[in-house]
Amino acid sequence: MTSHAGADDTTLVRASQRGDRDAFGILVSRYAPAIIGMTARMLGPAGDAEDIAQETFVAAYRSLSSFQLSSKFSTWLYRIAVNKCKDVLRARRPAVVSLDDGDTDEAAEESWQAVDDQTPHWELEQVELAWELGKGIDALPAVYRESFVLRHIEGLGYDEMSEVLGVNRDTLKMRVYKARTLLCRSLAHVVKQS
Amino acid sequence: MTDTERLVQRFIDQELSPEERMRFVARLGRDAALRQQVIDFEQLALDVSRLPRPGVPDGFVERVVAEAVPAPPAWRGVVNALLRPRTFHWNLASAGAVACLVLIGLAGLLTRPAVAPDATTATAATSTTAATAPRTVLVRLVVVRPGAATVAVAGDFNGWNPARTPLEPGSNGAWVVTIPLEPGRYEYMFVVNGQEWIADPFAAERTADGFGSENAVLDVRPDAGAV
Repeated sequence: MTSHAGADDTTLVRASQRGDRDAFGILVSRYAPAIIGMTARMLGPAGDAEDIAQETFVAAYRSLSSFQLSSKFSTWLYRIAVNKCKDVLRARRPAVVSLDDGDTDEAAEESWQAVDDQTPHWELEQVELAWELGKGIDALPAVYRESFVLRHIEGLGYDEMSEVLGVNRDTLKMRVYKARTLLCRSLAHVVKQS
Repeated sequence: MTDTERLVQRFIDQELSPEERMRFVARLGRDAALRQQVIDFEQLALDVSRLPRPGVPDGFVERVVAEAVPAPPAWRGVVNALLRPRTFHWNLASAGAVACLVLIGLAGLLTRPAVAPDATTATAATSTTAATAPRTVLVRLVVVRPGAATVAVAGDFNGWNPARTPLEPGSNGAWVVTIPLEPGRYEYMFVVNGQEWIADPFAAERTADGFGSENAVLDVRPDAGAV
């Protein structure tokens, strides 16, 4: 792998498109922490985040010939990972949350309300804030969670988020705002009881 | 989103112009509820940034690459190594060394004595030398191995490949071959039935082969007719 050490993504992608295993290995190594982190946060503790991350990279390699480098490799990778996570979530809770575009935000609002109502008596005083925060993120409706995770955990800007999720900037800002509001509301329990 | 919500969002995302920011901060001083909301949002962003990230499991990269990228056949690695473009790095010292080697080679060619007279002499001195190879000496090798199915010889002269030089069965269990050799010293062994490697029991000289056994040594002199 040393021959590609320090190479930029474009160089590595082009080498990978020619079947260079070492180059693709460096790309995987470079983005594995981010993709595993994102899938873990999107899918929660029982979500097989590692498997989905692995599927993401394998799917990326198999579609690499069609990748034109018109967007960043990382953006393209995030998009694949998000879609993989959506597949898992869709299979997990098909009747609760609609992940399709359209009325997703209304569905998310209703879904969150259901979760919030069901968990007013968490044993908040016995857990760490970080654990509660992670739990709160896991409980966010998927459309809010993906926006919040990409913005606050992965540190993406709204333009890149728009490219990853295929949603316009204003909608994404609204979703991130909603996610922040919902999380602050859930964490208020922690603050009050501790 | 309301205008206030949008303003909060832009403040948190640091998208406000300096003037807008000043006006918003002044408003925070007057509006305790709004101030608390902004503090909560900022605290949230800070808490989220401190969340532990899951590590990459051992062997993850290798597993992904193994599943995604089929391993190339072994021969392709050899071909790639042969065809891979290489960059030659040189400096004055290496260039000088190469130049010296070339000059020495040229000098050797220019000062080399003519070959033809010697060849004629060798041919004359060796009655059995083949006419097409003036300096070649015909050497007959003989070994007695009654009952053997095959006997061959392997040595310096045939790349240690017994398949190149089989012996012919003679009378009384003797196996014989005659081979043309240029003058020089050669190590060799007989190979009986394709498996048993033995040194020539009639060899005048033997030498250790480095593997705990001995090779026979054949010293072919230019003036010898046959050994």
